[in-house]
Amino acid sequence: MTDWTDGRPIFMDLADRIAADILAGLIPEETQVPSTNELAAHYRINPATAGKALNRLVDQGIVYKRRGLGMFVAAGAPEALRAQRRDAFSEQFVRPFVEEGRRLGLSIDEIVALVTKER
Amino acid sequence: MSTPTAGPATGTATAGTPTGIATRITTASAGITLRGLTKSYGTTEVLVDVSATLEPGRIYGLLGANGTGKTTLLACIAGHTFRDGGEIRIDGHDPLEHAPTLARLCFVHEDQAYNDAFSVADILAVMPTFYPEWDDEIATRLMRRFRIPRRTRSRKLSRGQRSALAIVLALASGAAYTFLDEPYLGLDATARGIFYDELLAVYAASHERAAAGTTAPRTFIMSTHLIDEAAELIEEVLVLDRGRIVLQADVEDARRTAFLARGFEADVLALAAGRELLSTRRLGGIVTATIRGELSSDERQRAEAARVSIEPTTLQEFVAAIGQHGESDQPAPHLAPHPAPLPASQSASESRSLQ
Repeated sequence: MTDWTDGRPIFMDLADRIAADILAGLIPEETQVPSTNELAAHYRINPATAGKALNRLVDQGIVYKRRGLGMFVAAGAPEALRAQRRDAFSEQFVRPFVEEGRRLGLSIDEIVALVTKER
Repeated sequence: MSTPTAGPATGTATAGTPTGIATRITTASAGITLRGLTKSYGTTEVLVDVSATLEPGRIYGLLGANGTGKTTLLACIAGHTFRDGGEIRIDGHDPLEHAPTLARLCFVHEDQAYNDAFSVADILAVMPTFYPEWDDEIATRLMRRFRIPRRTRSRKLSRGQRSALAIVLALASGAAYTFLDEPYLGLDATARGIFYDELLAVYAASHERAAAGTTAPRTFIMSTHLIDEAAELIEEVLVLDRGRIVLQADVEDARRTAFLARGFEADVLALAAGRELLSTRRLGGIVTATIRGELSSDERQRAEAARVSIEPTTLQEFVAAIGQHGESDQPAPHLAPHPAPLPASQSASESRSLQ
């Protein structure tokens, strides 16, 4: 069984996985993304769940439907995804990182120093 | 083979049905409708009052603790046993009074009794007689993948082989409504993987045929206690508790109907105030509670400040908590998929204490 994120709806996790593949260039712009049934069979999930994941990406403008052909990666999707992730970077990574540092008694300067060291 | 009512959601009247039944329900609604279903064995009430509507073309999970009536419910719907009261309609027909409907149902019992003289090959050979849509190709493929010996007498099969054979029969039956009662018993991880793959393949193929307009997509109802593994295959869950359906919801919504809270007793208790406390476990002064309801982000922050950790429940934990609920004869109350949390001011008087 696939190792999904605990407590998170599977369709959201799956949408993120497909998005990650698009971002990584594994599914280039204007190429076809796997169908609902292919995703369902591959991940052993209900096709309705796979369909919800694809619809989520359609809503985000990452993929689009070609009538009778299937879903395709939108032009500019990787750049859009990169921008989306940049926006989420602070919320998802920086804030929890600073909070954990504070819990451990580190000052902001000390945290910044640790970041600088990673350069 | 005729499938007179196989059209998906046509909603047409059934005046022309051969037996002229369906007089109480004027339009043939596709899917399964249960109303006030009751069933007792002797003095034991197994099904108390089961009502539900199941759309066709989905995979359902029938969940609940042992002895809550899952097998009895499936047997009643499939026409394997007589109900005491209530109504069952499958695509508008009572299956017990409408042979063409009965021919579209397949229920392989968890402890299916076959004729002792029959070999596996004999059983396979008679199946097309009962199931007009029987698919030999699927049967052959699954027999090979599960490595079930054909010449063995049915009673000599191991537990796992019996389960695998039941799966072969159910999937190859081609039945519009297929009921799987604890299909995993004795199956190892590899065999369960084969089952998941084949169920999804058969299900997807039936939807493709339905889209081409030839038949209705197949509906599967699967009872299971391996809930978390099955959760990914299921679209909608029905949770049975003491003979009643206490929850019917989309599988994701079902998981969100409850959460786990862990912390000092008083803080957890405060959080449970005005909500349904489904189960509690304690470790010294620390209490882990399964609580029905959703938390606002405000409540989440307050809980965090009080060092109460909040986690989502898995479907398995949720169903187990319902099974333990009260540990009395009181069934769990009906759970709405999205219960509205009570305002804090109202909740104090309705709080339940931890016993």
